[in-house]
Parts: sequence; structure tokens; C-alpha cells
Amino acid sequence: MTTEANTAVEEQEAKPLTTEEAKERALARYKVERDYFTENREAAKLMVEIGPEWQLQVQLLDIMLDAKEVIIDCVENDKPFIAGYFCNAPELFHAMDLPWYMIMETPFLAASAPYLEGDTDASVEIGMSQDLCTAIRLPIYYIETGQMPLPTVAIGLLTPCDGTPMLEQVIQHNSAWKDVPIYSCDPPYTSDERAVNYYAEELHRMADHITEHTKHTYSVDRLREVCEESNKTYSLWQEYNELRRNVPCPHGWEIGGAQAFAISQCFVAGDPRCTAWFEKLLEVGEERVAKGIGAIDRPDWEEKIRIFWFDIMPYGWVFEFMPWMEEEFGAVVVMDMFGNFPYTMIDTTSEETMYHSLAKRNLLDAPMIRQARGTAENFAGDIRRIVEDYKIDVVVWPGHMGHKDGAATVGIMRDTCRDLGVPFLHVGLDLYDKRYTSVEEVKEQTADFFRGMGLA
Amino acid sequence: MAAFDGYIKATHDFIQSMQGDNCTQTVHRDTVDELRASIPIKIGKGAMQGIIMRGNTFVELGNPLAGSTSHLLWTENCSLIQDGRITLIGPDIDTAEGQSLPFGQILMVGGEALKNQDHEQLQQINIIGDQIEGYMLRSSAENIWARVSRDVASREFTFETLGKAMIALIKSNRPDITSVEILFVTSGKKDVEELADSVSSAKSLGSDILKEAWKERGYDVDCDFDCSTCHDEEVCDDIRDTIVQIKQKERSENAAEEDIIATSNK
Repeated sequence: MTTEANTAVEEQEAKPLTTEEAKERALARYKVERDYFTENREAAKLMVEIGPEWQLQVQLLDIMLDAKEVIIDCVENDKPFIAGYFCNAPELFHAMDLPWYMIMETPFLAASAPYLEGDTDASVEIGMSQDLCTAIRLPIYYIETGQMPLPTVAIGLLTPCDGTPMLEQVIQHNSAWKDVPIYSCDPPYTSDERAVNYYAEELHRMADHITEHTKHTYSVDRLREVCEESNKTYSLWQEYNELRRNVPCPHGWEIGGAQAFAISQCFVAGDPRCTAWFEKLLEVGEERVAKGIGAIDRPDWEEKIRIFWFDIMPYGWVFEFMPWMEEEFGAVVVMDMFGNFPYTMIDTTSEETMYHSLAKRNLLDAPMIRQARGTAENFAGDIRRIVEDYKIDVVVWPGHMGHKDGAATVGIMRDTCRDLGVPFLHVGLDLYDKRYTSVEEVKEQTADFFRGMGLA
Repeated sequence: MAAFDGYIKATHDFIQSMQGDNCTQTVHRDTVDELRASIPIKIGKGAMQGIIMRGNTFVELGNPLAGSTSHLLWTENCSLIQDGRITLIGPDIDTAEGQSLPFGQILMVGGEALKNQDHEQLQQINIIGDQIEGYMLRSSAENIWARVSRDVASREFTFETLGKAMIALIKSNRPDITSVEILFVTSGKKDVEELADSVSSAKSLGSDILKEAWKERGYDVDCDFDCSTCHDEEVCDDIRDTIVQIKQKERSENAAEEDIIATSNK
């Protein structure tokens, strides 16, 4: 073992850090990420005059950076906080006045960060297989090397793929994390009313567990207030999605599903600041639709191919690929897996109805969980609906190396597209690491496909 | 009896139970061309240009918070369908300007040649897309959620118009469907929920049909095995037992250590 990462693991195993040293180590990387986003925000501020979309980026980064500062404050001052996931009903955390961060935050939200490639290599050097999903491998690496803030309570995830239970086991057994109380809701396989009721009970137990270990609780009125705000947020998101059905689509890859996903559920769910972000997004989108402006606002540019990108956006190399598709082929990602479908509105009549709706939202609607947990029919059903609603010309299944669950349904997806008469492109790549399949190779496959299908 | 026949009967029972001032019924056994000619809007691919934005919405139907349900029931026994009948229970579009109405829609279709393999494509009938001028189904997976534009509302767009448009589209797009009957419910959230309850298990029945249809095409959409059918069950059981033994040992060792500490502190 010669690398810095391996040395870090050896040191951690050899000589336990003091609490202060451990905090310092955990926050070091977290602060680097904060600083990376701070720089991005400063750059975005300089672009605000170019268009209101940049103001939206600034607002998003404000919300994200505030959330990061709160976590840093919690670690430094021993205040309770949670490590969890977007599909753990984060409205409950907010109602309990408990800050939280997402265990997969770096691959999900900071995949374009310059240190990601080095961290990915380091994850292999400490012994993880390159076949393991990069989005799973990175948090495991951060936990195993003491580079992730140690929470008061961890909320795990046992769905939708084979990788998440592995991450769960790391949380349970890592020497620093093994004493952190963890609760992971048991996800039922089916999607019927019985399954939803069961999952609602699981969320109840999760809330009780959090209360037991943090002494934070919620009043039903406060939960209702948060859920009603969350409903406002999701209603606006739905309204914005309708705008993306317009031809031309008012925005391209730069703003849309990924940001809406992050704002609605990755920081403070059910917060008026998030609602305000969506109000602005909608206002900007409506203006572009009214003026007939497409993804690129230039007289010599025209939208020619409307794409359904059925996965996470390739944020590890998005800047090298998406602008190329738009410029070269007029090919626009109109909808993606993370912008897909409005979520269940929360019925705020009673505590019971709120839990029931939260269970539906987090079990049946949340991206990836919706598609990859349980039976495969949602893969086909979602394609059928989105192709029609959004006038899709091409369905792209990127074939992320970690999405083995989806890989098993490629045949179903392809046959569904054949039924609909829509071309289906399956690439095979790593959304976070362009060395798996080079960007040039992905471009070549895409270009050949567009030409071969008579789209370009 | 075919899969959904019982649900068609339940829907008719529901209609029967709701008969009264609130219920209007019309029957249209015209040809597709006659139906097209009788409505004040365009229908067919591309009939609706663009989208209906919130500012141009005359009425919204089926907001999930107001109440929403939609099902498509099909049968090969056409005698079960009252072909051309459009039933509306509750207020019509022209009386609901600016409102968000609860919305239930049951589409009943019949065709002697229909079979389980058609089920998935039949569900596609519900996805209107851009085929009805001034009527936009919002992109919602679970519910039916729709908008009627101000423009077509001013041209007397009613549920009868919508029903006739749908019958014409279905019969022209799917010649194997010979009978179409539609129920619309806007009278209240409770009524929509009652309707949803009466056909609730049709969804899981549809899923079962889908699974079988995919199986015939060579695909499994479901995992049809569990621990009891897995040949590695014994190995897993051994691992679980071993883990239990390790934990028990750890616990007893910890308890012994605590005893020693407690004794030395005395």
C-alpha cells in the first residue's frame, strides 16, 4: 500500500483518532466540497446578466451551501444531525428540526468536482472492485477513510439495487460508524396498498428511532406545515414539467430535472426557499415557451431530436457530452429519470394520511427506487407514457455500469420502444467516470445511432 | 367470463346507484366520421398544438388533492358494453370556470378479438397526447389529471364533446374495438374515491395479465422465486446461525467484562 488513501486507512486502523482529530478529518473533504461549490456560485453570479437561469443556479447553490454550513456547524459544535437519503422522507427530518446530509451526496450532487477521479481511483486502491457502482463506491471510500461527517443517527437504504445494502453493511461495521444508531426502512417488493401501508409503518418506526437517539420530535401541525410547503414545491415542479412538453423544449440539459430533484428533496424538503426557486423556474420557463425559445436561444439553432435520457445525467462528464449533442444534432434531453413524473401529493388531513402519502412518495415515486425496486413493469410503463407526453424521438438507456437492476430489463425496454416505433439506444458506460467508456466513444456511438436511425 | 367483466358490471352498478339529477347520459352510435363532424374541435395526431399553460386553463380535472381515478376495462364480450353511452355524474365543464374538479374516468371497451396480449397496448388508449384540441392530460403516472383550455371552453367543449372525441379516436385507431362506453365523475372526492374502490383490484389484475404477456414474449417482469425456492437457502440459514452465535458470544463477553468492571469499582 503506497497511496495516500491506503495510508489513511492504515493509520485509522493502527491508531484511533481522537474525537477532535476525527471531526477534523471528516470535515476536511466536506469543506473542500463546500469550497468547490462556493467557487461555482461566485462564477454563476458573474453570469447572471446572461440569463435568469444563472440566477436559478445561484439560488440553488445558496440553498446547497447553507445546508453544508449547517452540517459543519453541527459537527464542530456537537449538535445532532442525520445522514440519510433523499428517499427517506426528508420532510420528517425538517419537521423535527434536524439537519441532514445525503450519504451519496458527492456522486449525486458533486459528480463534476475535479477531485472525483482521484477519489474513484483511491476507492479501488483500498480494495473495492471496479465493478461496484461508482456512486456506491465513493461513499464507502469516504466512510472507510474517515472522510464523511459522523452523524448522530444514520438512516440507511436497502433498495433499489445490489449496491445499497453493501453500503449499509459498511455503515454498520466501520470502526468509526458502528456505534452510530442506524435505521433502514424495509422496502416491500410489491407496490399495492398493503405495501404502502407497511412502508408507512416503517417510516413511523424510523421517526421513533430518530426521536429516541436525538430527542428531537415533531408536532403534527409542524409536519403538516412542512408537507403543505412540500406540496407547493412539487406542484410547481409538475407545472414546470408540462412546459418541457412544448416543442421546442424551453430548457436543455443545463436546467431541469436534476436541479428540481436536488432542490425538492436533497437539502431542506418543504422549505419556502425551495418553493421560491420553483416559482422562479416556472416563470422563466413560461416566458421561454411564450416566446418559442428552445434549449439554445440562437436564431441559427433548431431543436431536432427530443431525447428521454432514462437515468441519472452523466455528471462526471456532462460538460463534454450534452452541449455537443445539442450543438451538433439539435438533440435535447427533454426528460430524464430524475425529472420524471410528479410525486404523490401529501394528504395532510391527519398524521396517518401524511405518513401514507410519504410512504407512496418515497417507495413508489422517488427516482431509481420507482423503477428498479420490485417488478420491472415501471421501466416499460414509464417509457410508454413519457414518449407520448413529451413527443420523444429517442429513448437513451445509458447503461450505467452500476445499474445492473436496469441492465436486466434492457430487453423489455427495447421491445417497448419497438412497439412504440421509437429508437432505443443502449450505450454501456459509467455516469461518473469517463475512463470506463470514453466520451469520444459515447459520442461516436450516439452519432452513428442518430445517423443510422435517420434522425440526423 | 373474461378478466374485467366483473369490473364492468361493478361500474354499471355504480352508475345505477348514482342515477338522479346529478347524472346525465347520452348515447352516440354514429360512425366515426359522423362523430368527428358533430364536435366543435379538431381531433387526431397533432390536433392540439403546444401545451395548455396554467393561465390559459378554463378548468382543471383530477388534481390528486381534489380526487382522481382512471381505469380502462376491456372485454371480448361486447354485449356487456353500452356502445356509445357517455355518462356524466356531477357538474359539466361549462359550469366550472376556474375550478379544480375531482375527476373519475372509466373507459369500457369491447372487441370480439381482444385478448390478454393486447392489454398493454390497450392501456395506451388512455394516453391522449396531442390528439384532442384544447384538452391536455398532464403527465401523471398514477392518476388522470387534465386541463381544458379557455379557447375550446368558449366553443362549448363539454364532457359529451370529450366523450365523443374519445370514442371517435378509439374506434379509428383500433378497428378491433367495436364498442366504447365512458363514465365521467366530477361530483365530489368521495364519489371518485367510491368509484376507485369499486375497481381498485383491476389494477393488480392488469399487472398479472401484463406479466403473463411479457412472459410469452420471453421476459420476466417479476422475480418468481424467494428463499423457500432457492437452492442456496441452506447456506444462508447456516450463515444466519453463525452470525447469531458470534453475536451471542460477543454479548456474553461484553457482559462478563462489565461484571469485572462493576466488581472492581465496588
